[in-house]
Amino acid sequence: MSEACQIARKQDLPPPGGYKPIPFQRLPAKQYFSGYTMFAMYIGITAVSAYLYNINAKRIAKNEIEMRSAKMAIYPMLLAERDREYLKQLRRNRDAEAELMRDVPGWEVGTYYGERVYKLVPPDTLIEPIFHEYYAHSSPTEWFRRAYHKLRC
Amino acid sequence: MVITNGVKLPEFSELTVDECELSTATLMSAAPYVGKHCEAVNNEFMLCRYENKDPRPCVEIGKKVTACTMQLFKHIKDNCKLEFNQYANCIDKSSGNYTFHNCRKTQAVFDACMDEKLCMNRPAFGYFCRARIHHSPTSPPPPEPCPCAPKVPDPTPSLPDCKPRPPARFGNRLYWATE
Repeated sequence: MSEACQIARKQDLPPPGGYKPIPFQRLPAKQYFSGYTMFAMYIGITAVSAYLYNINAKRIAKNEIEMRSAKMAIYPMLLAERDREYLKQLRRNRDAEAELMRDVPGWEVGTYYGERVYKLVPPDTLIEPIFHEYYAHSSPTEWFRRAYHKLRC
Repeated sequence: MVITNGVKLPEFSELTVDECELSTATLMSAAPYVGKHCEAVNNEFMLCRYENKDPRPCVEIGKKVTACTMQLFKHIKDNCKLEFNQYANCIDKSSGNYTFHNCRKTQAVFDACMDEKLCMNRPAFGYFCRARIHHSPTSPPPPEPCPCAPKVPDPTPSLPDCKPRPPARFGNRLYWATE
């Protein structure tokens, strides 16, 4: 009975021609460059780029020297202008302080109730006031603006 | 707060002069000529400023510095106005920080005009970056007298010489050996 009904069943057979051989050998990665080649390439690229960098660096250094030279040439004129405005502002500050503390008993302008702040220097010495004192009688907008420029530039 | 009435500040009338109201691009484009024309008075002003460490004694020289710059710009305006305006315009618009290397053509034209009309040559490259010698007509400020007296009396004078000075017991390098 079992020989008569020999139906063709689907079996999990090996592929026709048999299995291909299984590769078990070690396959190291393909090396494009050897070690010496890599060192040589590194040194070569560094040398070429250093040469190109130096050409540009010389040009930039020359431009910087020219810029600094021009700035130094006009610096005294700008300093003189700044000094004049600075001294005018110191006088305005002193007058504003005198006006502000006019009715306070015992207060003298520039001192702490008559006591000098800097005691060992001659009375005529100009001690330059600190930033906040210089802008004490101006609006905060002014010293924000000045602080921004001073810190940023 | 620290400027008392004893500090002598100049009056407003002394500090009011004809200011040089020019933009940075204008100043930078004429900078080598300004530096060359006003070299003596600029050097004198900077010397005064650094020797005194104070802006007040240098107000008069500062006015001369500004006047010298104004005079040079008046000369340029009378003679080379168009070339200068073109150069300053190029400096202003060619870069973000007044660099010179994009404006060589206009610079050449301006230099030619200055050389021809005002007989002024541009100083050598990097001239103002180098140290220069300035022979000043004024004398230096008097130095502090020597030996200088101490400004405060010494509150902790050292041991009198008559007292014995034994060697340190534990402060030596040979810390394992005392006395």
